[in-house]
Amino acid sequence: MTYTIVNHVLDYFELEQGGLWSLIGAIAVWAAPITGFVAIVGLVSIWLERKISAHIQCRLGPMEVGPHGLLQTLADGIKLLGKEDLVPKNADRALFALAPMMVFAATFVSFACIPFSEKAIIADLDIGIFFIAAVGSLEAIGVVMAGWSSNNKWSLFGAVRAATQVVSYEIPLSLALLAGVLCAGSMSLVDISQAQGGWIWSWFIFRNPFMWIMFLIYFIASLAECQRAPFDLPEAESELVSGFHTEYSGMRFAIFFLAEYGKMYVVSAVGVVLFFGGWLSGIPAIDGIGGITGNLIGAGVMITKSFLLVCVQMWIRWTLPRIRLDQVMDLCLKYLLPISLVCLMLIAVWQGLMPTFDEFGIAMIAAMALGFMQMRRIYRKAIEASKTRLSLPTMKV
Amino acid sequence: MNWEAVVFWAMATLVLVPAFAIVFSRNIVHMAFWLLGTLMGVSGLYLLLGADFLGMTQIFVYIGGINVLLLFGIMLTRSEPVYVRRLAKRPKLAPGLIIGAFTAFTLVSALLGAGWRNVPGEPTETAGILGAFLLSEYILPFEIISVLLLVVLIGAAYIARRGSREGAE
Amino acid sequence: MVATFDVKERLRQRFAADVLHADRAGGMESITVKKDRIVEILGFLRSEPDLAFDFLSDLGGADGMRLDWPQWRDRFQVVYHLRSMKHGRRLRIKASVPESDCRMPSVTGLWKSANWMEREVFDLFGVHFDGHPNLKRILCHHKFVGHALRKDYDIHQGQWLDETESMMDEIGEYGENPDDGGFSELVPVNIGPAHPATHGTLRLFAKLDGETVVRVSPEIGYLHRGFEKHSESGSWTMVIPYTDRLNYCSAMLNNVAWCHGVEKMLGIEVPERTQYIRVIVSELSRIIDHAVCVAAMLVDLGALTNFWYLFNLRERIYSILEELCGARLTSTYVRIGGLAYDLNEGFIDQVRAILRDIPKNVGDVIALIKKNRIFLDRTVGVGAVSKELALSYSWTGPCLRASGVAFDLRKSDPYLGYENFDFEIPTYEDGDVYSRAMIRFDEIVQSMRIIEQALDRLPSGPIFSEDKRVHLPDKDKVYGSIEGLMNHFVLVYDGIKVPKGEGYHPIEAANGELGFYTISDGSGRPYRVRCRPPCFTIYSGYSEIAAGSMIADAVPILSSFNIIAGELDR
Repeated sequence: MTYTIVNHVLDYFELEQGGLWSLIGAIAVWAAPITGFVAIVGLVSIWLERKISAHIQCRLGPMEVGPHGLLQTLADGIKLLGKEDLVPKNADRALFALAPMMVFAATFVSFACIPFSEKAIIADLDIGIFFIAAVGSLEAIGVVMAGWSSNNKWSLFGAVRAATQVVSYEIPLSLALLAGVLCAGSMSLVDISQAQGGWIWSWFIFRNPFMWIMFLIYFIASLAECQRAPFDLPEAESELVSGFHTEYSGMRFAIFFLAEYGKMYVVSAVGVVLFFGGWLSGIPAIDGIGGITGNLIGAGVMITKSFLLVCVQMWIRWTLPRIRLDQVMDLCLKYLLPISLVCLMLIAVWQGLMPTFDEFGIAMIAAMALGFMQMRRIYRKAIEASKTRLSLPTMKV
Repeated sequence: MNWEAVVFWAMATLVLVPAFAIVFSRNIVHMAFWLLGTLMGVSGLYLLLGADFLGMTQIFVYIGGINVLLLFGIMLTRSEPVYVRRLAKRPKLAPGLIIGAFTAFTLVSALLGAGWRNVPGEPTETAGILGAFLLSEYILPFEIISVLLLVVLIGAAYIARRGSREGAE
Repeated sequence: MVATFDVKERLRQRFAADVLHADRAGGMESITVKKDRIVEILGFLRSEPDLAFDFLSDLGGADGMRLDWPQWRDRFQVVYHLRSMKHGRRLRIKASVPESDCRMPSVTGLWKSANWMEREVFDLFGVHFDGHPNLKRILCHHKFVGHALRKDYDIHQGQWLDETESMMDEIGEYGENPDDGGFSELVPVNIGPAHPATHGTLRLFAKLDGETVVRVSPEIGYLHRGFEKHSESGSWTMVIPYTDRLNYCSAMLNNVAWCHGVEKMLGIEVPERTQYIRVIVSELSRIIDHAVCVAAMLVDLGALTNFWYLFNLRERIYSILEELCGARLTSTYVRIGGLAYDLNEGFIDQVRAILRDIPKNVGDVIALIKKNRIFLDRTVGVGAVSKELALSYSWTGPCLRASGVAFDLRKSDPYLGYENFDFEIPTYEDGDVYSRAMIRFDEIVQSMRIIEQALDRLPSGPIFSEDKRVHLPDKDKVYGSIEGLMNHFVLVYDGIKVPKGEGYHPIEAANGELGFYTISDGSGRPYRVRCRPPCFTIYSGYSEIAAGSMIADAVPILSSFNIIAGELDR
């Protein structure tokens, strides 16, 4: 079944030609759940970020409001709502107000195409993945707008950095998206997910060795797209105070924040759909349930997987230092871009020549597990070495 | 009025109002942001016509890429808001009229000669068809354009590098 | 010491007419010369291979208005403390400057560090330096009237100053009119005084070309509170709490530095136990200071987690020090002639426990950064400082050692019995941000070694010198004998009477050479206190080193210097 945006609207809400009010109603019915979901994603992600960073750093994080500080973010949100709406002197008022909306809208619209399960999707577009990539690029405009309109040099620097970074990383990101499209033969996120049905080894990441590399490229590029550490140059607090949102406060600041966490969820969800089987659990018996129960389980699996990727993003943020701007560009143009081009070609060749068989997926999983264990061993050794270097020969450690 | 008409007029306004604003604004950065509106409106019109892929390409390439680069260029070269200076004190009427008339003539004749017709039927998937066309019937123009872009890219890199090398010496 | 005798004779041979006076004070040859040929004299001392006084340790001023010494001919003296890196000797040259002709040649051509130090003398004493590239106020506000350290400037005389200095005179003209049609127009920005990268209150005024810092100029003095003026208004003991606020990351070291210097002027030796305890608390403070420096630097690189790992360590050491002296930050623990309290019960076990845990805390950090490609890319080769440049800027401490000069006062001029400890001076060759970070980890290890040896050998015994000039008599003597009562009375009312003279006895603080040049007129109050803060000279090199780097590099370069505003601005 093929959909375009127009007839999707018509079908979904059984609109008659000419029903203007039903169009407005449709927009409202669409917007409400996404708004709710984005807000919840924001709240949960911010809480997760605080908790994860705290536990990585030998702290507890928020503990006061609600059990384990669950409601802390809510309290902060209410506080931010109550704050005075400050616009700096000589700022470009209209653009200053428009910028957070622009950034938020870019994230918000992407949610329309993200499947939670087979049926739980707002718009299963033919060009779903292209749609997400396209509206995602609107965020750069919003950031530039914020940076420019603030009339602050640090903000402007942040904006310029954001523009450079986002425009550059869009290329490897899109190529990584194409890899998934190539494997599934469709740009619809639902089709892509369904193409990975079966046991866990039929997920695209285990489809061939290059998909694994492509996932790494996608993940790195998505970090850069979200401006998350180590690519948080647009808001590098030690260099640019806080980059493009230096002058923002109160609810406008909160909206930037919400958009950032929303975007993290979006890129993670797309990553899950492209490489980790979307809402499929990897066990045919569970995936075959169908009906409302099946869809609910699917949604649970999808959200869990996405949040796991979000957590990995956070883990990386609290582990790695920040990259310098020229190194960011080097990484993109000298490494990610050529590697992803070569990988895309190899994936196309593999897709054309090699049959898909389960044994290969199993072998891939085994190889990955072995590689992971080897890396872990090397890392352990490095830690031990650095500790023995520090301790004294006479000391009983 | 049916909803398609409403959306059409909304999109047409979104194209035209920023277009006029671009012409009459004097702040270059504002112009670049107004351009955003026009490009969005055009994209909306494409979507309304059922050309999903084209509409999204419009957003992806023109807004996400070109418009950002435009702003980027303005901001990199200038730190202050830049205002366009009027070159002459009094606008020169005669050349303006001639150029305007010529442009209008070209546009109107193109519009009249387009041979508009109503295509009945459901909008269908466009991305696959476009892709197939690009790789079969229109492969030569497609390749020529990509080679042209490559040449432009190399040329730009060469000019930029030459400039920086001279600066270093 | 034949060698120091030589200096005097050599100078007399060469500049017979200029040498006014020579004496020895506090183990250092001190020569007063006429001001006009100071550049030639210092150049001679620097270039003669058998003298080789190539390191300008300190440059300060003194106002002799209320001093009736015969050798003090004119009102002002500009005091140069030189050190020969080759021979390990120190020398004090004093240029006599009359009030009527309050100007003298600048030695900025010989040492780059003289730039800021001469500005300071100009600011606080009003001595003009001819040939100085940029002679203007440095610590006081640019609209300040008068010269604060002159003895006729009343300490209570306040001034209302609220106008920010534009700094345009230093870098304003630069890059304003490029020939390429305005395409590389430079952007002026203020980094600080309230900016996350400027820990404390530092202000950098920079001109940027895109992301590149083309020129940067620091403005200091935001935390200037007149430490030296304050010190000159109270008794010798009353200076100790002020020293806490110098380098507030390692207050113990400042206490030790001050008391050590005064004890040397008094000529007293503290008991052995006190020396060992001082060594232990000094090294603990050094560990804190290094941990804080690296932690802050890693935050500037965006690696916030390391900050917490290192601050956990710092907090634990602070808890130990708190139990010892009652304060975490401002310890005021050391006294002239001894210590405020003996070790508390359990101190030794706590320190041993923390020595065991340091490898865990610091090891985690090293494991996170040592082979981290991003960290290496961001630090290796960034802000590289050559040996010569570092010496010209009078760098000391870890920053100098990171540039490959194995200069550590604990080894070269041992004090507090450091010669009895077995430890090494780690050095790195490159002098980049990476070296400055890593050398601090290595020094933490060496400090741990020293602490361990000190704990093993810690003798028992008194903690205060028995010398009556510094030791408050025991209460039973105060109440039981007239000598005790009088002794107590005089010590409390008059303060410690330091004999007439001058002294400069630096120690190795966490940032480098920390010394107090003190002049005593014998009255029980310091006549002149000049603090030689290690990060003042280090920071004076910043604009040269950071120029041409990117903003993202300029910030870690700054934090790798470990600039502590309290010590910098005094």
